[in-house]
Amino acid sequence: MKPLLILCLGNEIISDDGFGPEIARRLKKELESSRCADVVFAPVAGFFLLDLLSGRRSVLIVDTIRTGKTEPGTLHSFPAGILTPSYHLTTSHQINLPTALELGRRLGYDMPNDIDIVAVEALDLETLAEALTPPVQAALPGALQAVRGWIAKHSEEEKPHED
Amino acid sequence: MKSIVIDPITRLEGHGKIHLFVNDDGSLANCYFQVPELRGFEMFAKGRPVEEMARITTRICGVCPDAHHMAAAKAADAVYGAQLPSAAVKLRNLVYNAFFAGDHTTHFFALGGPDFVCGPDAPPAERNILGVIAKVGLDAGKKVIAQRAAGQRIIEIIGGKKVHPVTAIPGGMSKRVTKEEQAEMIKLGEQMVEFAKFSLKIVDDIVLANKVYVDLIVSDMFTHKTYNMGLVDANNKVNFYDGKVRVVGPDGKEHCKYEPKDYLQYVAEHVESYSYLKYPFLKKVGWKGFVDGPDSGIYKASPLSRLNASDGMATPLAQAEYERFYETLTKDKSGKTMVHHTLATHWARIVELMQACETTLMLAKDPEIISDKIHNPPQGIVGEGVGIVEAPRGTLTHHYKTDQNGIVTEANLIVGTTNNNAPITMSIKRAAEGLIKKGTPITNGILNRIEMAFRAYDPCFGCATHSLPGEMPLEVVVHDAQTGEVTDIAQRNC
Repeated sequence: MKPLLILCLGNEIISDDGFGPEIARRLKKELESSRCADVVFAPVAGFFLLDLLSGRRSVLIVDTIRTGKTEPGTLHSFPAGILTPSYHLTTSHQINLPTALELGRRLGYDMPNDIDIVAVEALDLETLAEALTPPVQAALPGALQAVRGWIAKHSEEEKPHED
Repeated sequence: MKSIVIDPITRLEGHGKIHLFVNDDGSLANCYFQVPELRGFEMFAKGRPVEEMARITTRICGVCPDAHHMAAAKAADAVYGAQLPSAAVKLRNLVYNAFFAGDHTTHFFALGGPDFVCGPDAPPAERNILGVIAKVGLDAGKKVIAQRAAGQRIIEIIGGKKVHPVTAIPGGMSKRVTKEEQAEMIKLGEQMVEFAKFSLKIVDDIVLANKVYVDLIVSDMFTHKTYNMGLVDANNKVNFYDGKVRVVGPDGKEHCKYEPKDYLQYVAEHVESYSYLKYPFLKKVGWKGFVDGPDSGIYKASPLSRLNASDGMATPLAQAEYERFYETLTKDKSGKTMVHHTLATHWARIVELMQACETTLMLAKDPEIISDKIHNPPQGIVGEGVGIVEAPRGTLTHHYKTDQNGIVTEANLIVGTTNNNAPITMSIKRAAEGLIKKGTPITNGILNRIEMAFRAYDPCFGCATHSLPGEMPLEVVVHDAQTGEVTDIAQRNC
């Protein structure tokens, strides 16, 4: 199993919630040959995260967010559990990310050392549609750059472990 | 008059709020539970093949994808006038019960149960599965994970995928089950039944053994005498996958029992100006506002209402627990005396968990499930179909009209939580009436008891709207209704 995971959360049929899956689609090919990083799209949350996170050293979660304080399309980057959780890390019928991580640790799962989040400020998370809104669509290149930067940084950290 | 707004999701613009309108003397004038809906389903569905809806609608909601899969598949069966082979019905029923068990497990151990296992006054940070583990032991966490994994494996075997099943198609199923897979499912089913017994023991040891909790469950604050809805089989026993919709009155007498295709003759939807949400009610009784009683058409569709609407459970261990449930709460084990206590829904959920696990095991052992005859290709088209299943959180209706090629021209959904919009509103109001007093600060304990009133319904806004945070942030803003001035603010997890 590769030590790094880009975990894209979202839903392809609910407007801006398609951001995560679109990032996953665009990264899939270039990460196929990567020795360090996988990209996975998962339309799930809560308990399901345990299986996805288990065994990885570092994880970057790509998701949508609504802070209501920034313009749609703005990218937010933060470590998990420190700031406002992103959209799919908070759910009415599941456990949230910090709880999932702690549960995993208590149950003896090999949970990641660190989890970061990059989330785009969404404009529309209510309309069933297969297209992103223009400001969120425009945020895709910046998000891809952020993901590649994260992989590069964490790949460097990985090297001493391989020696 | 003052207005108190409880905003459970201050971070997520446009989502639910609770408005409490308080008179100058401190009494509660009214309460509104406001949640915007997911928009555009009909437009999204139009122009798509109806058989695709079973795969598409699983993606509406990350919480009950299997319920949408089955309701849409049943509606598509009806659109094509398809008659399913017996083995296909058993496979659908089996996978659906496995899903149901997993969903009820999640709610009891991660969401609703912690209110009791950890206590209603426990800090929010402890009222979750970690708090349950701290109280019951680490082994409980391992069992919950194993139970969920068992359900997901069965969904993967029959449904083709762990989370979003894809195999129910018009006229049956698209994937056969092997003998080896059947053997594996029998083992998983046995494990699930043991887990249900373990869950019932927790209800016994931690909830029923605590008089304070029992008093809370049966208190007026959490009681509403509404109609009750649920699917029943030919013997009026609880069924999650199929049957007729039965509705009983607050006195327990049958109000109606109908085929899914006739739902519009019995259910109508009331609209309030303040909310995008619709409030379903019984057409023949009528909408009389947010009041309970036999003259108000408001009904509940929940684990508790399914027990009330039936004459019992379909499996032996669940039936024994059903009798204990009614004996304890009404002194009448027959179930003919209704239980109207909202918080008893948590216990009812575990009674249902037992039936779901027993049914999973029973069907896993059925020799017919490895039959090759799992699909009858449709021979014609009717052009309209309704599919109803019991989602864990309430009766789920999918209704499609199509052209002669099976392309959707009209679509309508009534999702589980939507059924309960009016009861949830009333439950919040009743809880708030008992708790919000003039001059009394709004504490975390008060906020949680109001939350408990709607958490019992296991509301999911994943498809009724979208998502709410798992650890519910609450913000209570007290306004002077005349001037709009903010006079008090109470927040949690904001």
